[in-house]
Amino acid sequence: MHQTLPLLRDGTYCPIPEPNCRESVKPIQRVIDSVKPHFKKGGKLEKFHPAFDALETFLFVPGHTTEQGVHIRDAMDLKRTMFLVIVALIPTLLFGMWNVGYQHYLAYGMQTTLMENFLFGFQKVMPIVIVSYAVGLGVEFIFAILRGHQVSEGYLVTGMLIPLTLPVTIPLWMVALSAIFCTVLGKEIFGGTGMNFMNPALLARAFLFFAFPAYMSGDIWTDLSPEPGHALVDAYSGATNLVAFDVDYTQMSSVSDMFWGFEQGSIGETSVFACLIGALILILSGVGSWKIIVSSCLGVVGMGLLMNVLAPADIPTHAMHTPAYYHLLVGSFAFGAVYMATDPVSAAHTETGKWIYGILIGVFTVILRIFNPAYPEAVMLSILLMNVFAPLIDHLVIEQHIKKRIKRA
Amino acid sequence: MQDLLNLFIKSIFVENVVFAFFLGMCSYLAVSKKINTAFGLGLAVIFVMVLTTPLNYFILTYMLKDGALAWIHPSLATVDLTFLAFILFISTIAGAVQLVEMIVEKSLPALYAALGIFLPLITVNCAILGTSLFMQEREYNFAETAVFSFGAGIGFFLAIVLLAAIRERLRYSNIPAPLQGLGIAMIITALMGMAFLSFSGIKL
Repeated sequence: MHQTLPLLRDGTYCPIPEPNCRESVKPIQRVIDSVKPHFKKGGKLEKFHPAFDALETFLFVPGHTTEQGVHIRDAMDLKRTMFLVIVALIPTLLFGMWNVGYQHYLAYGMQTTLMENFLFGFQKVMPIVIVSYAVGLGVEFIFAILRGHQVSEGYLVTGMLIPLTLPVTIPLWMVALSAIFCTVLGKEIFGGTGMNFMNPALLARAFLFFAFPAYMSGDIWTDLSPEPGHALVDAYSGATNLVAFDVDYTQMSSVSDMFWGFEQGSIGETSVFACLIGALILILSGVGSWKIIVSSCLGVVGMGLLMNVLAPADIPTHAMHTPAYYHLLVGSFAFGAVYMATDPVSAAHTETGKWIYGILIGVFTVILRIFNPAYPEAVMLSILLMNVFAPLIDHLVIEQHIKKRIKRA
Repeated sequence: MQDLLNLFIKSIFVENVVFAFFLGMCSYLAVSKKINTAFGLGLAVIFVMVLTTPLNYFILTYMLKDGALAWIHPSLATVDLTFLAFILFISTIAGAVQLVEMIVEKSLPALYAALGIFLPLITVNCAILGTSLFMQEREYNFAETAVFSFGAGIGFFLAIVLLAAIRERLRYSNIPAPLQGLGIAMIITALMGMAFLSFSGIKL
């Protein structure tokens, strides 16, 4: 009877007939199965098993079965979780590409179509994404092979987050440097995905920010590669809304521009709308914690309102007068709260802790934005700071919980 | 009042003794394996700092500074004993730690047992001597000295408790063998320092 049913990769027979069985992706699988023995223990390419394993499990759900205990496996493993985050990042990536082109042509006062804008941005953004992935994954594979652990799929997300948090004019070697820095010192040194305590993508950005400040602030947000026959328009200013905000908050773009993202900034951070789509995907799939997103918004609005109350009445343009909801729209807050703060590894792990963690992110964001004009990109820094505080928050929450339970008993 | 509040926040976050000046590293790295001991040591450091820095302030103002001895006899108005600052500061600290140790041993034996060797070790914690020397160098007045010493103590307390919490979380991480223990603690400290850099340049 077994002759008629397809043989599966793990050596068992598929209970359903051919067309519905996953054997239907035969050509790729045949290649993989044919080279598999070389990578097994004792094979001549045994050393490269982690690399092979990474590719195999990326293409197929792992075929191995549990030997004892629970036999139910969730198909939602780490690789597919990470993949969902990538899906959630696609809106910001696509919008970011378009906006790069839009801002470029806007600076030269040229009338362009949607497709032209997008193609220009695609040309500029793709190299950054490719370098980030190639270098970061290269480091991951080297570590995996040397240390004999599996290739962590976490980099799939990190490698996409890094370009989205950078200005489009960033030199490619800096992207490579930051990818190496964050993979080695932010993650691999702690043992790989899930064992670090800081968000690697944020670390990459902070590293560039502190190491090469000239490339991370100033007139770098729009790609100004020359357009033959066109000169920069007079109204062009390289300042982002966050810089304008510190001088005179009424100089910021309109609310709708900031919401849709027609402003200068890092590649992926400008559009709140695109981030909201991403947030929806993350929350509905259960990958991102809605508690963190909601509480960081609450923190920002609460602190913004407090600032309005405390603002000096004699300077009507002072940053402290900024309406609280502006803080949600300006800069990278939406991007940070949706994609960076919800990182399940570096955020607080306890449920109460998540609320505290999120609120503190919001509070520190507003404080740093207003009182630290040197670092207008306060969101990334305050999330990084809260990454440091998260273990302590968890500890205090658990202690509190233990005390409560003892009292009740 | 505004200035004092500013100084207080600055000494905790912006000019954190650990992350901005890398003072008190030895006990910071050695006693941060468990949150509870880190918590105890942090409290002890706050206490000793708040006790010794104002004390050293009085020693400096009424004994060491140029002409400070004039209150004894006018002929001493030209005497400058500032070169004795180091030795007198550290003796004050050693004396204060001895005093703290005796009090804690007598009245709180449980805390004394928990802190163990770390209590006398506070004497050689450079963060404490550093705080007194900063007080001298920056010429703080008494109110500023009191606020600064409290802020610096809280800064150290915060740093050591945060590191201990992170190290407890990383207990099951697969850290490469050569880096386990102090190696990874130093790397964590550097990364934490990077996060604390976000406060540099803050204007209140």
